[in-house]
Amino acid sequence: MRKIFTEARLALIGILILIWTLIPIYHLFVMSITPRVETFAGALWPSRPTLENYETVVEQGHYYLEHFWRQLWNSAFVAVMVCVITLAIAATATFAISRLKVRGGRLVSNMALATYLIPPAFLAIPMYKVMGIYGLLNTQWSLILTMVTFASPYAIWVLKQYADKLPYELDEAARIDGASPLQIFRLIYLPLMAPSLVAIGTYALLLAWNEYLYAFLLLSADKDITLAVALGHFLTTDDAPFNVLMATGAVYALPPAAVYYAFRRYMVSGLTAGAVKS
Amino acid sequence: MASVSVEAVRKRYGALEVIHGIDIAIPDGEFVVLVGPSGCGKSTLLRMIAGLEEISGGTVRIGQRVVNQVPSKDRDIAMVFQNYALYPHMTVRENMGFSLRLRKAETEVIAERVQRAAQILSLTELLDRHPKQLSGGQRQRVAMGRAIVRNPQVFLFDEPLSNLDAKLRVQMRTEIKALHQQLKTTSIYVTHDQIEAMTMADRIVVMHDGIVEQIGTPLELYDTPANLFVAGFIGSPAINLIRGILRRDGGRCWVATEAGVDLPLNGDAAGQDGQAVVYGFRPEHLTPVENSGLLSRIEVVEPTGANTFVYAELSGAQICGVFSERRSFAAGETLHLMPQLDRVHLFDAASGRRLAA
Repeated sequence: MRKIFTEARLALIGILILIWTLIPIYHLFVMSITPRVETFAGALWPSRPTLENYETVVEQGHYYLEHFWRQLWNSAFVAVMVCVITLAIAATATFAISRLKVRGGRLVSNMALATYLIPPAFLAIPMYKVMGIYGLLNTQWSLILTMVTFASPYAIWVLKQYADKLPYELDEAARIDGASPLQIFRLIYLPLMAPSLVAIGTYALLLAWNEYLYAFLLLSADKDITLAVALGHFLTTDDAPFNVLMATGAVYALPPAAVYYAFRRYMVSGLTAGAVKS
Repeated sequence: MASVSVEAVRKRYGALEVIHGIDIAIPDGEFVVLVGPSGCGKSTLLRMIAGLEEISGGTVRIGQRVVNQVPSKDRDIAMVFQNYALYPHMTVRENMGFSLRLRKAETEVIAERVQRAAQILSLTELLDRHPKQLSGGQRQRVAMGRAIVRNPQVFLFDEPLSNLDAKLRVQMRTEIKALHQQLKTTSIYVTHDQIEAMTMADRIVVMHDGIVEQIGTPLELYDTPANLFVAGFIGSPAINLIRGILRRDGGRCWVATEAGVDLPLNGDAAGQDGQAVVYGFRPEHLTPVENSGLLSRIEVVEPTGANTFVYAELSGAQICGVFSERRSFAAGETLHLMPQLDRVHLFDAASGRRLAA
């Protein structure tokens, strides 16, 4: 009896959280299929649902959406590059720290985590300055490098927890079998780390895809900005076309949802790995 | 195949020295077992021969070549690990062929050598499985298969049977020995199990606290242990050891214990009158006699079928006797026992060394 009560209570909390999470998404969806005239009618479901907002988005048929496809591509390009570079850095760093046992490796991984003591927003101005010095402002590489900077420490930390769990005898067996460190990395380490690499890659991808502040700060030309910044531009007028904005938002939310869904199996096990310092 | 020689080898971790200058010469084709309690340095020594640990001092030679600075992969050795260390993402076939693949061998050569090793180890049916689909014994066989496809100069085994259950361990022991008789590759085998050492070795190296206590064939170690440590380590049930003072009177010789019991010795026994000694005899070298002999009280009787183990109290110490004849023993009974005098071992109590006749 007591158990049922406890479970019912947990279920209730779960349902409340679910509703709380889903309401904004529901709003987004409803507004995206509502004709412009009814935008703020406040109905739970539009009287005449329409896909015209999505047509506007796809055909770039609005002032704010002139470069929609280009901006979507920019977002994808930045996200994929951040994912690839972060993975390359984290995989090689953790291999060196955890498997080659490079001197000072533990210090590096602890310091990596310490970078999270400073909120990224505090670094906005310094980062802007640095990119200016290197002449990278208004190029997508400035955003890519910045996001890699923020994603790598966490990626290294989580991957290291995983790398430490691989039996060291595997490396020793491979050394005796005749493998060089690079061969161990390629033929033993990477295949065995694949699940955690997928999880960390997804994390970096979504971090970059969702980034607004730094994208807004570092990129300015309409053709260079990411979709996140373009969405922000909608709100620069009093007469914002909210239903088109919501349709764009819905399209923008689809790729991460798909990525997350495809790799959900790895996400849970991968990201909890770093939860406890071992 | 090649000989292996270890000369004055030392291992230090910072200021702590764990191996204090070891010399072992292993001729080509020999099966040598390094045995000793945990922490005696046997695995460290093996790992130094493998190139997985740096050598702090001394020389390791494989064949005629000094390998101190040679990386593992160029030492032409193969190693079997305690936890198998099979690559989980590769099939049995890929695991076994991995070293040849790294050496850029032809595909047909790899296939043929893997096939032949699989036949020797009866793994042919399992070649396309992954390690997680295999039992412990099968994994151990794959680990050995990975070693033999290479046809290396030396096999190194680091407690390869410790993770197996008792029955499988006995079976694999026989298989490894048979394999060695077939391939005749120089082998160095580390274990803490003296039975494994006794049954498998051509020669045993008994190690303790980073030094070699004795090197010899299994029966040499059993029959003439060089010191108390080896005497106590080799043999199951363990040798009986009783402390006392060596006494000589004319042609007679005996060991007087504190409890006032005189333990008999042959007249030609070594040692000085009055010397503190340890009197040792193996459990199976005790004979029940009628009247003379040492009086002891039986505490526990353990019949195993082939033998009966009798634990009894003698001169304040617990001793064990192993008897193969069917005779009834009962707890509480007093028994007259006589050690076979030519099988009695005498050790100096201070140094622990064997007193040679």
